[in-house]
Amino acid sequence: MQTRIISLLVEDHPGVLTRMSGMFTMRGINITSLTVSPCEKEGLSRMTVAIDGSESELEKVRKQLSNLIEVVKVVDLKDEEAIIRDLCLLKVHAKDSGARSEVMQLAESYGARIVDATLDSVTLELTEEPERISRFVELMKHFGVKQLFRSGVTAIGGGGGGGSEK
Amino acid sequence: MARVKLSGAEIVVEELKDEGVEVAFGIPGGVLLDLYDILYEEKEIRHILMRHEQCAAHAADGYARVLGKTGVCIATSGPGATNLVTGLANANIDSSPVVALTGQVPTSAIGSDAFQEASTFTITMPITKHNFLVKRTEDLPKVIHNAFYIANSGRKGVVLIDLPKDVLAGVARVDLHPTWTFAGYKPNIKPNQVQTKKTAVVLANAERPLILAGGGVISADATEELRHLAEFLGAGVVTTLMGKGTIPEGHPFCLGMAGMHGHIYANRAINECDALLAVGIRFSDRTTGWQLDQFAPDATLIHVDIDAAEINKNLQVDIPIVGDVKLALSDIIKWLEKKKRTEGNSKSVWVQRIREMHSACEDCIKDVRSAGSSISDRLIKEISEILDDDAIVTTEVGQCQMFAAHYYMTKNPRTFISSGGLGTMGFGFPAAIGAKVAAPDKKVVDIAGDGSFLMTCQDLATCVENDIPVVVCIFDNRYLGMVRQWQELFFDKKYSHTGLGITPDFVKLAEAFGCYGERVEKPEELKDALNNAFESGKPAVIDMVVGKEDKVLPMIPPGGGIIGMIGTEKCKHV
Ligand SMILES: Cc1ncc(C[n+]2csc(CCOP(=O)(O)OP(=O)(O)O)c2C)c(N)n1
Ligand SMILES: [Mg+2]
Repeated sequence: MQTRIISLLVEDHPGVLTRMSGMFTMRGINITSLTVSPCEKEGLSRMTVAIDGSESELEKVRKQLSNLIEVVKVVDLKDEEAIIRDLCLLKVHAKDSGARSEVMQLAESYGARIVDATLDSVTLELTEEPERISRFVELMKHFGVKQLFRSGVTAIGGGGGGGSEK
Repeated sequence: MARVKLSGAEIVVEELKDEGVEVAFGIPGGVLLDLYDILYEEKEIRHILMRHEQCAAHAADGYARVLGKTGVCIATSGPGATNLVTGLANANIDSSPVVALTGQVPTSAIGSDAFQEASTFTITMPITKHNFLVKRTEDLPKVIHNAFYIANSGRKGVVLIDLPKDVLAGVARVDLHPTWTFAGYKPNIKPNQVQTKKTAVVLANAERPLILAGGGVISADATEELRHLAEFLGAGVVTTLMGKGTIPEGHPFCLGMAGMHGHIYANRAINECDALLAVGIRFSDRTTGWQLDQFAPDATLIHVDIDAAEINKNLQVDIPIVGDVKLALSDIIKWLEKKKRTEGNSKSVWVQRIREMHSACEDCIKDVRSAGSSISDRLIKEISEILDDDAIVTTEVGQCQMFAAHYYMTKNPRTFISSGGLGTMGFGFPAAIGAKVAAPDKKVVDIAGDGSFLMTCQDLATCVENDIPVVVCIFDNRYLGMVRQWQELFFDKKYSHTGLGITPDFVKLAEAFGCYGERVEKPEELKDALNNAFESGKPAVIDMVVGKEDKVLPMIPPGGGIIGMIGTEKCKHV
């Protein structure tokens, strides 16, 4: 099992997101994340679906997605080639100055930004590959995580191409 | 076409006519008053007022299955739309092209729990091929055009259009009959030449080739090609329930329906073949059984279907072919003809065996029949003999359906209409209404169960009021017979809530609606009763008394495989 990422171009219609998530439920497919965003083309949106599953499960998802009338294009993003990002916001306990400086140091080494701070907490932002974020979050748990938000993955094909079209 | 200024309701009707719609089955309601106001004067569209929306959907479905043309049904918002749901799910899972129009509360009221508001758009999303909630009058031409295009192309299915009151009442300047379609919808798939060629080689070299034909063959109007291929190859043909009619039952190569309630020799042929060409099917468990190691274990599996998502969904195949079934079969034939068949003789043993199985096994299971189903199977055989080849038979669901599937000799495509995927009790009668409207010159008979018929019998009124003389033949066993059969076989005869008691008197019920009614106590009386029914010129109900505990056998028990069906123990050939 590994995380697979499918990038979709879909018609920007009300209800497409419901249709997608409904299809996943109906076909018994578990997805790890689903994100929607505008894209470079007028009237279309980009969706990024992350799935934990085997190649055959991925194949099933791809076909079912292609069958949706409002899906214009299904692109398989191979891990090796794709640039995959997740955005994480987390609020960490930092009651004393020792903890605070340790948190800040670790944040810096991971490339996280400090976006807010109070006397007893620090809020950090990190945009990274999902696994690196997970590692960072694990570290921060050591200090106590008050709140955690992750946007879900979004991805783009590497190089000049747009990923392999299916 | 020039811009015109029309109301939403007028646009809907204009576009329906442009799509060739001649009939719509529906029931009006508050939010549809604008639409019905236009339909009142409309001469080109015959609107048939149904007595339940479920029947409107089934009738549209039956109509579509008979003609291959998209059926149309109409229902009001809220309860009207929710009543449609069963019928739409039924049509969609059997890939029948239907467009449903539903009324909706005004756009300004959507989400307010307004009177008769239900979120039809979200409710019907998983049971349609696609659906639309129209927000602006000017979008109507595009939406309607696409609804019909999507419903009747690719893998056919149901498209629903939800029409808010203000969208129908509003006026807009529009261009009628647009041609725009979705960029991502490319339904016309040409089969891959490498794959069809490979298939031709496999089939030509096979010693025991078999074709398994499903509803997709009928949907693609490819029955001629199928028959030609079978005859050219010397391949046996077995069908699914939905595939009845793909080849005349009685054709020397036809082994009839396979699967759970199929013929033993059909299942045996699947088990023994060395190349299986599955066309327009989805390998449902009702066809394959559950012991997949018994399903064509020695065969090269070839699967042709228009829907790529069906390939390797239920069964892993060796040669997948995605595309139009008619094109694919033509291509395979083309390659075979090019190859010139030289090894034809090698198949003669197999053809011989097919023929032998066909006639011999009939005798072997006679015992089974008389033990389990002395009357029911005879009744179907009578019906089969009395009806001409182009008569249309629809079925309800249960034992009645499986008796019909097993024993009714279907000769032509689109003449055996049954609820395959959903197994919807109450389907057969309203589907018969749609069938009769589609083909008024053909005899239409619903083979019904007493339980099923009571689910939709109120539409006898529709038949009488609109002069739609269909004949309902009820297998009157006073049981939810199929469930009772399972209780008998697998639950120690504990008939929990399957007895139907003694009411109603179906003859009187028919008469109360102004229909012809007759009771048949013995199979030999059926012929006269059917003729009386047809001669009456009225919709008719024939109440056929059958053995209360008749069983439909043979059958694959739950969890079983296509070999070792219950009821085949005495067959000497398997
Ligand atoms: C709408 C619906 N409800 C329940 C079932 C489950 N079911 C399958 S067959 C059957 C019995 C059908 O009884 P009847 O119509 O009398 O036919 P018979 O089996 O007796 O010939 C039932 C209840 C169903 N298929 N459809
Ligand atoms: Mg019954």
